[in-house]
Amino acid sequence: MSIKILTVDDSKTIRLIVAKAFKPFDCMVLEADNGVVGLAVASREKPDVILLDYTMPVMDGFEVLARLRSDPDLKATPVIMLTSEAGRDTVIKIAQLGVRDYLIKPFKGELLVERVGRVVDLKNKAAAAKKNKRFDDPISILVVDDKPAISAQIRAGLEDTPWKVNNADQPGQALDRCMENGVDVVLASLSLPNDGAFMLLQNLRGYANTASIPVLGMCVRTAAAEQARAQQTGFASVITKPIDPAELKTKVCRVLGLETSYKYFQQRDGVLALMLPKDFHPGVVQEVSTHLQSQLVSTVDAGGDKLIIDLNSVEAATMPVIELALSAIQAASKLSLRCAFVGSEAIKNQFRSYEETQAWLFAGTFEQALALLK
Amino acid sequence: MTREAVKEVFQSMLSMEVNPEPPNPLTADPDGQIIGSVGFIGDATGIICLYAGAGFARVITSRLLGIPEEEVDAEEMVPDAIGELSNMVAGYVKSRLCDRGLPCTLTIPSVVRGQQLSVECSGQVTTRAIGFHNCKHHLLAEVLLKDSTAKEV
Repeated sequence: MSIKILTVDDSKTIRLIVAKAFKPFDCMVLEADNGVVGLAVASREKPDVILLDYTMPVMDGFEVLARLRSDPDLKATPVIMLTSEAGRDTVIKIAQLGVRDYLIKPFKGELLVERVGRVVDLKNKAAAAKKNKRFDDPISILVVDDKPAISAQIRAGLEDTPWKVNNADQPGQALDRCMENGVDVVLASLSLPNDGAFMLLQNLRGYANTASIPVLGMCVRTAAAEQARAQQTGFASVITKPIDPAELKTKVCRVLGLETSYKYFQQRDGVLALMLPKDFHPGVVQEVSTHLQSQLVSTVDAGGDKLIIDLNSVEAATMPVIELALSAIQAASKLSLRCAFVGSEAIKNQFRSYEETQAWLFAGTFEQALALLK
Repeated sequence: MTREAVKEVFQSMLSMEVNPEPPNPLTADPDGQIIGSVGFIGDATGIICLYAGAGFARVITSRLLGIPEEEVDAEEMVPDAIGELSNMVAGYVKSRLCDRGLPCTLTIPSVVRGQQLSVECSGQVTTRAIGFHNCKHHLLAEVLLKDSTAKEV
């Protein structure tokens, strides 16, 4: 289970610095912008450590600390005080209140991590990461939109996946569904009344069991101000209506870290096969590019020296396909891998009409391509 | 004291070296300027103000938050970052004043933005200004001290 760190600070800047400092670690950073909210979050979430600002409006750090110490459930929670005042009197006062440690601002993020690491066992996120879900695993998507047609459109666009799409027409209903667990990703319309999507995101971030659910915003392409606001307020991404299923799949894969490399790459007898799909959209370029280097390195590590690009499913020789193939050839050549293509005579002729492809080695089958590279 | 404070805060929080230079009014930035100010009151009384052009304020915010400049929101992030930076500078100065036997309390930071701004105090005050620069960027730190404090510092 992730470590919970609560930062109570009226400065959004400091809260962002704290969140950034702990991003590489398997922990959840909860935020409160004043002492009253901080006590409420602490009471609800029982954090493992609290980073408490000394000077705050509404309720200062001393009072928060005193109230924590008088609460039987929270009195043992370690508190690290952050203060920009390093005078002797302040330090003595802090020490008398029984904080575990204190940090004087300005401080470096590394120092903060080191101090918190003395109190809780921080684990690197990569080390703690579980095996990623794959693209073909079932996931649950919650669409929050007061227009049922949008959910229907998304459901239809994803029917070739095992993904389940549910709908909530109000943010409150969406929050309840997320609290019940089982929601992997939320798609919320940015045009919901009363800033509903933004309020939903804020509420989700305030609860431990919903804080890490990625939320994608949905809006029309021309709503530039809404898109900018969503990106600044913590939406994982924004997708424009009308929803393009291919773009949606790519964004969901990215925000959930779904494993997609198996769709494009296969290791066959020490040869790396890159299979380009029929439905070639910008998301394919992104996904292939993401995995290309690690797949090439694995091939070389395993003693392989060949890359075969399979164009059998590709319908037309378009510039995006050529550019992706060229970048694959270039990356392969840096690792001394030789490269050939597999495709029908018709697709070969289409590619041959481009100057960039004149040097490509084409074959009709995988075995013939292999023979060309021997 | 203020010179040390500004250098220390910029070095620690932004990994940025700022070097003192003669103080000059910051009028060059066409996008205006921003002032972060924090007061202190007690045995030592005064205000510390940091002046920066809008462009430098954006750079500072980007460095402080570790995000690209184009992602910096000028309306929300910049004022908060400048306020926090001013608070750290004032906190540093306050600690030194307290250690010299001049206990005081800090006010919460305030930030103003506009064109050709300056902060003035009514009554008997002494103003001390220190300029700083980092490459093409300039910063002005101004300390307004109540005369009774100025004599002791």
